[in-house]
Amino acid sequence: MKFRWSMVVMFLVGCSASAQAQETVPILSGGAGFFGASAAGAQYYQPVLAPVLTVPLGKKWLIESRADLREFISRENGTSGPYQGEFFGTLEYLQVDYLANSHVTISAGRFLTPFGIFNERLSAIWIDKFQDPPVIAAIGTGRGYSDGFMLRGLLLASTGFQLNYAAYFSTLSTVEKFESQRGTGGRIGIFLPGTRFELGASYRRTLEDGGENSTGVDLSWAPHAAPVEIKGEWAHSDSGHGYWIQASYRLSHLTGSDSGLGRLEPVVRMQQFFRSKPVPDDALPAGNLQRPEFGLNYYLPHEIRLNGSYARQYFSNTTDSNVWEFGITYRFLFPLWPGGAK
Amino acid sequence: MSRLRTALAAVLCLLVFSPFALSPKAQTKRAPSNASEGERRFRTNCGRCHQAPEAISPREARAVLRQMRVRAMLSAEDEKLILEYLAP
Repeated sequence: MKFRWSMVVMFLVGCSASAQAQETVPILSGGAGFFGASAAGAQYYQPVLAPVLTVPLGKKWLIESRADLREFISRENGTSGPYQGEFFGTLEYLQVDYLANSHVTISAGRFLTPFGIFNERLSAIWIDKFQDPPVIAAIGTGRGYSDGFMLRGLLLASTGFQLNYAAYFSTLSTVEKFESQRGTGGRIGIFLPGTRFELGASYRRTLEDGGENSTGVDLSWAPHAAPVEIKGEWAHSDSGHGYWIQASYRLSHLTGSDSGLGRLEPVVRMQQFFRSKPVPDDALPAGNLQRPEFGLNYYLPHEIRLNGSYARQYFSNTTDSNVWEFGITYRFLFPLWPGGAK
Repeated sequence: MSRLRTALAAVLCLLVFSPFALSPKAQTKRAPSNASEGERRFRTNCGRCHQAPEAISPREARAVLRQMRVRAMLSAEDEKLILEYLAP
C-alpha cells in the first residue's frame, strides 16, 4: 500500500516538475453555486460544488477531471415535514488525453459521452443558462458518462469551414462512481466560423440488453453581429423522441457589457418529449411532456452569475405544474503550484 | 432546517470571502491591438459557450487552453493565437 502511495506521490511530483518546465501549471477551476426550486408546491435547495482539475504534462499530454458534489435538500414528505438533505457525489470525467495533432486527440478513462451539444459543452453549472438539463439529455449519452477510449479532433479545417468529430467505445462498468454502459458511437459536426453556425449529428449503439440505437441532431448559432445565441437538439431512441431549442440575448448590445442593463440576459427555451414505450430507469419522463421556460441571467463582476426562471410543465399522464427556479453561480480558477498566478 | 441554514451560510461564505472575489490577482492586461486575431478566434470558438475569464495568468492560460483544445477541438494554431490574446 505504501509503495502505491509513494508511486502516486512521485507521479504527481513528476507531473508538477514537468508542468514547471513547460511554463504551465496544474490548475483547479470550476464552479460553486446554490440553487433553489419550487415545483408543484415542493421546494428544493441544492448547494453545489463542481471542481475541475487540469494537469498538463509536457507538450502533448493532459489529465483532466470534473466532479459534481451536491446536497439535495427537500421536505421529508415533499411539500410538508422537516427539511432533510441527501448528498450526491458524481465523478463526471477523469481522463488522460494525448494531443497527437490538430486532427487527432486520443482520450482514455471516464469521459462525457459525445452526443449532441448539451452533455459535453453546456452541462457545466457556470455555463448552462437554465438550472435543469433538457429532458432529452438522457437520450444517447448512456447516463452521461462513458468509461473507455475516444478519438476526437478536426477532420478538416479552413478559414471558412471546419469538420469536427468524436468517436468512442465505452465498456460496461458496475464499479461504484464509475458506472458505465457498454456502447459505441460518436458525433460529427460542421462548423462555419464566419457565421458561428454549427450543425451536428450524433449516433450511439448500446451493446448490452439487446442493444438500442439513439440518433440526434444539434445546432448552434451565435451570429457575430449581435449577442444572440440559439442552440437546440433533437434526439430519438427506443424510449421516445424529443427536442429542445433555446435562445438568449445579452443586452450588452444596448448599453455595453459592464452597464447595469448590459449585464442582463433574457433566455427562453422550449422543449417537448414524446414517449414511445415505457423503459425502466431510462431517466426520461414517464409520458409526453411539453415545457416552455423563461429565464433571466445577470452577470455580476468577479465571475458571479444570478439566474431565475419560470417554466410551465404540461404532462400527458400527470397534473400540469409550475416550476420556479433561482440560483447563483461562481466560476473560479486558481493554480495548484506556488507562483502559478504570475 | 439547520442543515439548510448551514449550507446557505457555507455557500455565501465561499462567495463573499473568496480571495478571488476580493483581491485581483497579479495579472497581465490584455492587449487587443497585438492579439486581434486571437480575440477573433476566441470569440468564434470559445465565445459560443462562455465569456473570457476576467483575469488569468499566462501559465494558467496555457493549462486552460490545453484543456479547451481537447474539449472545443481547437487547432494548434487556435491554441497559440488565443493564448496570445488571453495572456500576452
